Amino acid sequence: LEMDGKVKKQKPHQQKHSGPKAEKKKLKKQNGSTEEDERKRNPKAFAVQSAVRMAKTFHRAQDIKTKKHHVPVVDRTPLEPPPIVIVVVGPPKVGKSTLIRCLIKNFTRQKLTDICGPVTIVSGKKRRLTFMECNNDINSMIDLAKVADLVLMLIDASFGFEMETFEFLNICQVHGFPRIMGVLTHLDAFKNNKTLRKTKKNLKHRFWTEVYQGAKLFYLSGMVYGEYQNQEVKNLGRFISVMKFRPLVWQTSHPYVLADRIEDLTDPERLRTDPKCDRTVSLYGYLRGTHLKNKGQVHIPGVGDFQMSDVNFLPDPCPLPGTQKKRALNEKERLLYAPMAGVGGVVYDKDAVYIDLPANHVKQLQEEVRPTTELVQSLIETHVTLDAKMAASKVSLFSGSAGLDPTDIMQEGLREIHVWDPHTQTQRRKVVFTGDEEEENDVSGSSSDEDDDGSDSDQENQEEDDDLSTFLKEARAKSEKATRGSTPPVKKPKLEEMKGEKEVVTEAPAFADSEDELEKSEADSEGEGEAERAGDSGHCSKESEEDSEEEEEDGDDESMEEEIGFMFNFMLKNKLFSFLIPRCDLSVGTLKWKEGLQQKASAAFLRHQEAAPNLRKLVYGSVVEAEDSEEEEEEELGGLFRVNRPQKSKRVQANALDCSHFNPDISHNWDLEEMLNSIRDCFVTGQWEEGQDAATLLKEDEELYGDFEDLETGKVHKGVTGDESDEADDEDQQVKMDDEEVQKNKRLEKKRRLKERFDTEYDDGDATYFDDLKEEMQKQAELNRAEFEDMDDESRVQYEGFRPGMYVRLEISSLPCEFVTNFDPHYPIIIGGLGTSEGNVGYLQMRLKKHRWYERILKTRDPLILSLGWRRFQTIPLYHIEDHNGRHRLLKYTPQHMHCGASIWGPITPQGTGFLAVQSVSGANFRIAATGVVLDLDKSVTIVKKLKLIGYPYKIFQNTCFIKVHYI
Amino acid sequence: MASHGLTYEGCNFLRQRLVLSTLSGKRVKIKNIRSKDDEPGLRDFEASFIRLLDKVTNGSTIEINQTGTVLVYQPGLLYGGTVEHDCNPQRSVGYYLEALLMLGPFMKSPLKATLRGVTNDLTDPTVDLLKSTALPVMKKFGIDGEGFDIKVRTSWYSRGMAPGGGGEVVFTCPVRKTVRPVQLTDPGKIKRIRGVAYSVRVSPQMGNRIVESARGILNQFLPDIYIYTDHMKGANSGKSPGFGLTLVAETLNGCFLSAEMSSTPQGQGDPILPEDLGRNCAKLLLEEIYRGGCVDSSNQSLALLLMTLGQQDVSKVLLGPLSPYTIEFLRHIRDFFQIMFKIEVQKPLEDERKGGDKVLMTCVGVGYSNISKTLK
Repeated sequence: LEMDGKVKKQKPHQQKHSGPKAEKKKLKKQNGSTEEDERKRNPKAFAVQSAVRMAKTFHRAQDIKTKKHHVPVVDRTPLEPPPIVIVVVGPPKVGKSTLIRCLIKNFTRQKLTDICGPVTIVSGKKRRLTFMECNNDINSMIDLAKVADLVLMLIDASFGFEMETFEFLNICQVHGFPRIMGVLTHLDAFKNNKTLRKTKKNLKHRFWTEVYQGAKLFYLSGMVYGEYQNQEVKNLGRFISVMKFRPLVWQTSHPYVLADRIEDLTDPERLRTDPKCDRTVSLYGYLRGTHLKNKGQVHIPGVGDFQMSDVNFLPDPCPLPGTQKKRALNEKERLLYAPMAGVGGVVYDKDAVYIDLPANHVKQLQEEVRPTTELVQSLIETHVTLDAKMAASKVSLFSGSAGLDPTDIMQEGLREIHVWDPHTQTQRRKVVFTGDEEEENDVSGSSSDEDDDGSDSDQENQEEDDDLSTFLKEARAKSEKATRGSTPPVKKPKLEEMKGEKEVVTEAPAFADSEDELEKSEADSEGEGEAERAGDSGHCSKESEEDSEEEEEDGDDESMEEEIGFMFNFMLKNKLFSFLIPRCDLSVGTLKWKEGLQQKASAAFLRHQEAAPNLRKLVYGSVVEAEDSEEEEEEELGGLFRVNRPQKSKRVQANALDCSHFNPDISHNWDLEEMLNSIRDCFVTGQWEEGQDAATLLKEDEELYGDFEDLETGKVHKGVTGDESDEADDEDQQVKMDDEEVQKNKRLEKKRRLKERFDTEYDDGDATYFDDLKEEMQKQAELNRAEFEDMDDESRVQYEGFRPGMYVRLEISSLPCEFVTNFDPHYPIIIGGLGTSEGNVGYLQMRLKKHRWYERILKTRDPLILSLGWRRFQTIPLYHIEDHNGRHRLLKYTPQHMHCGASIWGPITPQGTGFLAVQSVSGANFRIAATGVVLDLDKSVTIVKKLKLIGYPYKIFQNTCFIKVHYI
Repeated sequence: MASHGLTYEGCNFLRQRLVLSTLSGKRVKIKNIRSKDDEPGLRDFEASFIRLLDKVTNGSTIEINQTGTVLVYQPGLLYGGTVEHDCNPQRSVGYYLEALLMLGPFMKSPLKATLRGVTNDLTDPTVDLLKSTALPVMKKFGIDGEGFDIKVRTSWYSRGMAPGGGGEVVFTCPVRKTVRPVQLTDPGKIKRIRGVAYSVRVSPQMGNRIVESARGILNQFLPDIYIYTDHMKGANSGKSPGFGLTLVAETLNGCFLSAEMSSTPQGQGDPILPEDLGRNCAKLLLEEIYRGGCVDSSNQSLALLLMTLGQQDVSKVLLGPLSPYTIEFLRHIRDFFQIMFKIEVQKPLEDERKGGDKVLMTCVGVGYSNISKTLK
């Protein structure tokens, strides 16, 4: 530049080489204050200026440190955790379904056209995900907020925040805050880059104030062919698959199931005669939260409280891949399970196997009957080999009550949905903040609702076809796996019989033209195995045809089966302990290793039984017998008198003396020396165990601390080491080889103990209470995991209950018929377990605050809909405030900006549980009326009210006056 | 909201059923209470127990039919606070106290129960025994703190022997929100034996005679034995004469095994010599030690209950052989809480001289939390 030349050059600094300053500097250099640390080099600058300030800073530092601590809790997550529930929320037309579709496609390479009910996928080696779309209904939002692990909160950036978003955030806050990730969509609506940036920033900061500073907000920039960009979806998927979750109090203390399949098991005859009768329904889903006890009480939000009549666990329909060491999942392991959306293929029930096919396919397929056997046979084999329990069981025709197929029910729901048109009916509920009103207006001006995903419908048919083909491929793959591991079927009489029972196979018309699909998928994959299998299946079908005549009694089912068309039932009569069935070997010819497992398990079981000489039976088993014996016949004499016999032994016990005293064994005579000897070692004076013997301990101490030098005399004392004495002994016992082993173990043991001592001395020195507590929890967690690990599941569930992660089937009788008739898979069905006495009712005292965004104040005795625990219910609250003297004074209205007490008559829910209240579930404004927390539960409550009574005196004494009051 | 009740028959195990019903909130119906007896229906002491339960709860409904053969109990919430109760002298205070021990930690406000009646008799665990064994068991579960005590002595009178009674016991118990899981698998060796030889309205010499005879047997095992003599006079001594002995063996790991014996009530049965009583009681203690375990036989059910009510973690406890009362209690726990215990028998090793078979009980708690306690 020109200016540079004109700039006046400044005079450089001249270093002094002589004089006092230079001297000083030189001295400093020589003395070498080479100290790097400023604090030491210049201590004055860091000296304590003010003791008060120092104390303050110290306090602050400590505060920050301790704030980071959470109360340690026992880690109760099971080894195989249930799929993570990802709830996708957002106002209508924001792109929820598209996002789920894209994520599913990203993880499983499959396309799902209709997102209907929960969709479970395998996303990684150790993680499964369940996607659930939350529709724009406050009930769904409330229910799903209670079960969500992760919430993907979709926000239409072109429009800004809508009321639903904030409502959902507030619901989450009340019911424990799951992980929340914001996703901005419709970013392609912005033409101007600057407004885009600005909007992003605004939305981000608003989102942060609501969730937490730095909460993740994801941007989906635009659509490509009706889908989000692959790379962005992939990134979002990565975020999801590495995300960590914090345990939420309510979720970890209650078992719950997000039902992904329901079946109506009601007797069809009863249904015909009384369509409004109570239904017996089985619900399926992954168990989450905590252990579920059989026959426990559950609540289904929107339906009510029920007692489960039965709970079973089923083989996992969407299992995690095996524990082989490899980097990524292969195509077969990327499973997808969504029965409500009609995907998932083969479904295993307790006593049946269902193969679901969309109804329209069945119609097409029904014409050709010929080549079905092959595929169906392979499917059957699949199911036999997949699961040890089933392998051990007998296969027979499903008799009689075929449950309503979920697809059946689904169709009903679908019809309703077609009626509902989001385009026309959606009412967008804009949130306006006073601060950024102008900008919002700008944004909304530019935004439009025109973005439609009509392209989906074009693809629909094609995609559906894809679905089937992928499903078939999957099934094929499974069967291949099975047959490859197996030997060609050896003719065993029992095996044949079993196949005879599977005879539906030949009759079934469903898979008629599936062949071409099969060939396609087959051609490139495998050649030789196919031929072999084809041979097998043909052979088997022939056999089964022969046997079919023997099984005539099941014939009537077949006709029914044909009517249903797309459903096969294979009833598996399982015994409780499958491995105890002597016939277990008959079907296991296909998989050898499983046979081994069964034997091992049965051996272990028997060993256990032997070890406990029927003590378990004595305690838990004999109850049944006792009940049997209670049926005693009562003789009557002349129809008037009853013979009063001397009571039976059982009855005597029932009315015996209630006493906890345990009478001593009479056979023990404590005068005898041998009896006395039998308990000698219970006392400190008796013989101690090898390791704890005083002599051993002393010797150890000697070894450890024996060496010392007497400093006064300079004499060195040598401890008698074990090695020396061992060496001496060794000469005598060199012949023994295992002696060395013993010595080695001893040395190891000694080393370990030394290490332990060292650790306790040096590590625990500054261990805080917090550390100790954490360690304790850790130990407990390990114990919890280890205790029942080597048990088989059947007996394990008896002790533990059903553990989270299991796929369970809950049977509930007496559900109202409306549950089935109005079933819509788009609404979540949650089965929430209730703790002890949570099924009772009482008075709840709560702390309540009117929501600051709710416009009106609430009036005492105005009905309010509360969401508390699992439940949503309407109740009549009384508001009150605590006076200084501790009494609760009734308030007519809630205070404007203050907490107040509220008392309701409602379900007992543990203290500390949060709740929210709405006045009506529909409405244009912010719907959450109040939030709060349960403080106290009781069966009575005292609230006082000041009364003004008007009357006149009717008796006057000196200082006393009686007043007669007119009651109005 | 249907609360499904449970139905039982007979008056036996009444306390268990009512206590578990109260804790689980499940309604219970007991039919055929002594229906074929000459005197059908509930006895006075049972009615007294129900009345006590009514005092410590709020909102429970109790229906008894006219003959007293059917009882329907809909539990309310445990209230606690200061409760005074005159226990029926048909059973000793221990009968009532056993139930209160189970309920005490789960009240709304800390319990201070004053129970009057018979403190020591033959059938039920005496107050001394519960004080020295039940409280340490509960302490292991984290129920501890100031004012956790059973006091036998108040200002007026304390001990009351059967049949007259006239004793007073104060049981104070703090409130807990949760119970912590325990692992009591190693009882350890017995390091000392303590005891109380009490005598009321008899010669003070009785106590010394009991002590001497009991020591005679126990000294073969352990030198550290100390048995206190507790002689009551005048107003403190209740209404009936009697004497007895309570022995407690403490192990290195803080487990307590106990035995007790008291004289037959005045005018009922053969009188017993204090020497015999001392010897027999010492033998009972040896029997108890033979059974072994971390919890003595009279408190087995208390320990199992607290394990059941613990957090959802694995609890383990080593017991001696299960008493019939405990076995029934296990069944009741399954009915009320759907909890089954894993029961493993540990047989003694060949050359081990540690008494008979032990039973290792394992369970996962229900994750019970005290729903009565007020949140501030």
